[in-house]
Amino acid sequence: MNRAADQPEPNPLREGLSARAVPQPCTIVIFGATGDLTHRKLVPALYNLAADGDLPPAVEIVGFARRPKNDDEFRRELEEATRNFSRQTVRDEIWKNFAQSIFYHQSEFEDESGYKALAKRLDEIDKNHGTRGNRLFYFAASPDQFEPILKHLKAADLNQTRKGSWARVIVEKPFGTDLASARELNRIIRNSFSEEQTYRIDHFLGKETAQNILVLRFANAIFAPLWNRHYVDHVQITAAETLGVENRAGYYEHAGALRDMVQNHLLQLLCLVAMEPPTDLSADSIRDEKVKVVRSLRHWSRNEIAANVVRAQYSKGAINGEPVVGYRQEKNVNPDSQTETFVALRLYIDNWRWADVPIYMRVGKRLPKSATDISIHFKEAPAVLFNKDLRALNVLVIRIQPDEGISLTIHAKVPGTSFRIEPVKMDFHYGTSFGKASPEAYERLLLDAMSGDATLFARRDEVEQAWAFIDPIEEAWHAKKDAPELFFYPAGSWGPEAADDLLAGDGRAWRRL
Amino acid sequence: MPAIAETYSLGLPVEVSKIDQELKKLWQESQGAATRASLVNLAVYSENAGSLNKNTQLMAKITENHACRAIVIEADCKAQENRVESWISAHCHVSRAGSKQVCSEQISFLLRGGCTTLLPSIVFSHLDSDLPFYLWWQEEFCDPMDPQLWAWVDRVIYDSQGWEDFSAQMHLLESAEQEANQRIVLCDLNWTRLDNVRFALAQFFDHPASHHHFAKINSVRIDFAPGFRSTAVLFAGWLAAQLNWQGEKTEAANKFSFVSSSGRKLDVELHERPGEPIGEVALATPEVEFLVAHAKCGDLLEVSRGNPGEKRTPQLMPAAKNDPVSLMSEELMRGGPHHVYLHAVNRVRDLL
Repeated sequence: MNRAADQPEPNPLREGLSARAVPQPCTIVIFGATGDLTHRKLVPALYNLAADGDLPPAVEIVGFARRPKNDDEFRRELEEATRNFSRQTVRDEIWKNFAQSIFYHQSEFEDESGYKALAKRLDEIDKNHGTRGNRLFYFAASPDQFEPILKHLKAADLNQTRKGSWARVIVEKPFGTDLASARELNRIIRNSFSEEQTYRIDHFLGKETAQNILVLRFANAIFAPLWNRHYVDHVQITAAETLGVENRAGYYEHAGALRDMVQNHLLQLLCLVAMEPPTDLSADSIRDEKVKVVRSLRHWSRNEIAANVVRAQYSKGAINGEPVVGYRQEKNVNPDSQTETFVALRLYIDNWRWADVPIYMRVGKRLPKSATDISIHFKEAPAVLFNKDLRALNVLVIRIQPDEGISLTIHAKVPGTSFRIEPVKMDFHYGTSFGKASPEAYERLLLDAMSGDATLFARRDEVEQAWAFIDPIEEAWHAKKDAPELFFYPAGSWGPEAADDLLAGDGRAWRRL
Repeated sequence: MPAIAETYSLGLPVEVSKIDQELKKLWQESQGAATRASLVNLAVYSENAGSLNKNTQLMAKITENHACRAIVIEADCKAQENRVESWISAHCHVSRAGSKQVCSEQISFLLRGGCTTLLPSIVFSHLDSDLPFYLWWQEEFCDPMDPQLWAWVDRVIYDSQGWEDFSAQMHLLESAEQEANQRIVLCDLNWTRLDNVRFALAQFFDHPASHHHFAKINSVRIDFAPGFRSTAVLFAGWLAAQLNWQGEKTEAANKFSFVSSSGRKLDVELHERPGEPIGEVALATPEVEFLVAHAKCGDLLEVSRGNPGEKRTPQLMPAAKNDPVSLMSEELMRGGPHHVYLHAVNRVRDLL
C-alpha cells in the first residue's frame, strides 16, 4: 500500500508498469524449513510469484532445519509439496529454474556454529547471486525456538545491515499466549531486530477482501456518513469452520478459539472495520488508527465476562451428513478438556464513533459451514409510512472467505397492487466480476515484506493491546472459583443456545449464514 | 434458452428497437441459473466482412476474465442497401466462485450503407448505464472523426502495428482526445504487446546500485518479427523517454542514434528476424549486457545479465502472447492514463 521510508530511488523504467512497491533482491531464510507451513504455504507462494514474474531476479531461498539432507533432497521435497499445494499448475521449466535458487542449511536451532556457517553461506549467495546483502528471516518454527534463533542470529551479526541493504524478520503467530508472554517475545525480538525490521504476519490481512475493507470505506463516499453510532445498529463478525481440531490438538489444547482466532484474526478485521481514516496509506498511519480501536475496547470485569462472552466445546454430531466425534474424543485431546472450540462475544468500542454500538463476534469449529464475514446492520428507518411493520434492517455484508464479495440488503416493494415490502440483496462477487483469481494471502504478504511495506503486518502495540483485552477473559475462564460455564454444542450446529441468548437479550439475532 | 446456451453464435436476431425488451426476456428465461455481470461497456468496431463472427468468438474469450456488456459492430459502408440487423446473446462461463454461470451480454449489429453514420446513436442507445465505455477500433481512423462518438468514449483501444501512416493516425486520435478535453485514454495494443518485455528489462534496475548503468548504456539491439518494426521503434521510444535520450537525425530505417542528457551517443539497431514480435532486446554498456530473449518454449522470457559472450543462467519470466484475446485482457486489466506511452511515441514519432 505504501512505499516504506527506506524505499530506494524509483526506477524510471518501472513507471506505469506497476502500482505497488517493488520487491527487492534478497535471500529468504526459512527457519523450520521442513515443516508444514513451508511445504503448504511458503514455497508454493514463492513459486507462484516466480511463475507470475513478480519475484525480483535475485531471490534465493535457504531452508534452515535440523534434519540432515542436501540441497537436491530438499528441492525434491519442495517440488512435491508445491505440485500438491500450489494454486497454479507447476510447470517443469519454471520449477527447474526456480529450484536452482533453493538451498538447504542443516543445523540445530541452538547450535551457534550453524549460524556462523549460515552467515558465510549468505555472503557467498550475495556474491554469486546478486542478493545484495538483503536478508528476510522467516520464523516458521515453533515459538519456543524463537529465542535461540534470534540470539544466535544476533551473535552471528545476521541482524546487522550493511550500507544499502536490509535485514527483516517475519514472525508467525502465535505472538505469545498472553500479554506477559507477548511482551517477552517482543523483548526477545527487539534484542535482535528493531520494530521496523519486524513483520508479524497475520494471513487474514493478506486476503483480498480484508484489504478491500479500507477501499470500501474510504473510496466510497456513500458509506462514510453512515459508518458510526448514529446509523449502525450493530456489527457482527463470524469466522466459522466445519473442520475440527484435525492434527493440531497439541497446540489447540493450550490455545483454544479465543487465543487462536479472536486475539489476532478477528480483532484485526474489527480494526479495519472500525478504525478512523488514516492520514495517509503509510504502514504506520494505518496501524496507528488500528491500535486506537483495540485500545478503545471495553474491558470486562471478572463478573461481567459470563454475561458478555460465551465459550463452548463441540460434542459429537454430524457435518454434511457424516457423523463426527466430539472434541474430547479427538486424538491427543484430554478427555476432560476445558478448551473452548467456540467463542461468542459482545464487545464495545468506547470511542466517539462507536459508543454503545454492540459488536458481536463468534468463531467456532465444527459449525455447519465454513465462512468468514463481517456484517454491518444499520438502524431501522423511522416507524412511519412504509416502515410501520417492517423490522428487517439494511445489512452490508463483507464476505472474507469463501466466495469473497460484498452484499447490501435493501427494502423493495413487491410488484403488485398492494404495498408489500421485502428485503432484496444486491450482491457483488469477486469471482463473478473479476475473472482473474486473487493471489494467495502469503504471496501478497511475502512480496510486501520484500518491498519493505509493513502495512498488512501487525505492530507490537497492536498485538500487546489485543492481549490486554483477551487476558481478563482467559483469567476468568481459568479461575478456580466461579469460572464461567463451558457450554457444549453438537458438531454441525451453530453453537450453544447461550450464544443465541447473547443477542436475543438485546433483541437481536445472529445473521443466518 | 438458446441465446444464453450458445456462446459462439450471434444469438437471437432481434429488431433494434426491441433490444432492451429481448435482453430482459433473455434473463427472465434463465430463471436465476445465470448471473449477469458487467464492469464496462466494450464495443468493437470493424469494417471487415465476417468480423461479426470473428469478434463474437474473441468476446466469448475476453468475457471469461472481464465481465462486460459487449457491443459488436460490423459496418459495410459501401453497401448499396441501407440496413441494420441486430442480435443478442450472452457469453456464459462457470465462475471460479462456484457452480453458477456468469454471463456477459452481447449485442451485435450489422450496419450496411448510409446507416453506418448512425453508429453513435446505435452505440449510445445500448450502453449499460453508469459503466465506462471502451471502444475497440479495429479500423484505421478516418477524417473527420465523429465528435459525437468520441465525446462518450472513455478508452479507445487500437493497434498501431497495422497502421500505414502512424503520424496521420496519431494526429487524428490526438485531435479527438483534445476535443474530448483529454478525457479519452489512448490504449495502443502495440504498446501492450511490449508490457512483459518492458517489465523484464525494468527489473534489472530496481536496485539503486544498478542505476549507474543507465549512464553507461552505449548500444541497444532489438530483434523484431516481420511486420513489427513499429513495435520495436516504440520500445526504443520508451527507453529514450524514460532515460531522457534525445533523438538524432538519422538516414537508415533500422539504425538510429540518441544522445543522452550528458551528451553521450547511443546507437539503436533494429534487426528483423522471424519469431515473436519482439524476439530479443539487449542493452549494452562497456561492462555488462542486459538481455531479454524469448525462450524456446515460446511463452517464457529468459532474462539474464553478464559479459557479452559469457555463459549465463537466465531467469524465466512470463512472456506476453501476441493474440487479440491476450492483448485485450492485458489492456483491460490496466487503468489510468497511459502517459508513458505518449512520452514514448513523442520520442520516436518521426521514425514510426
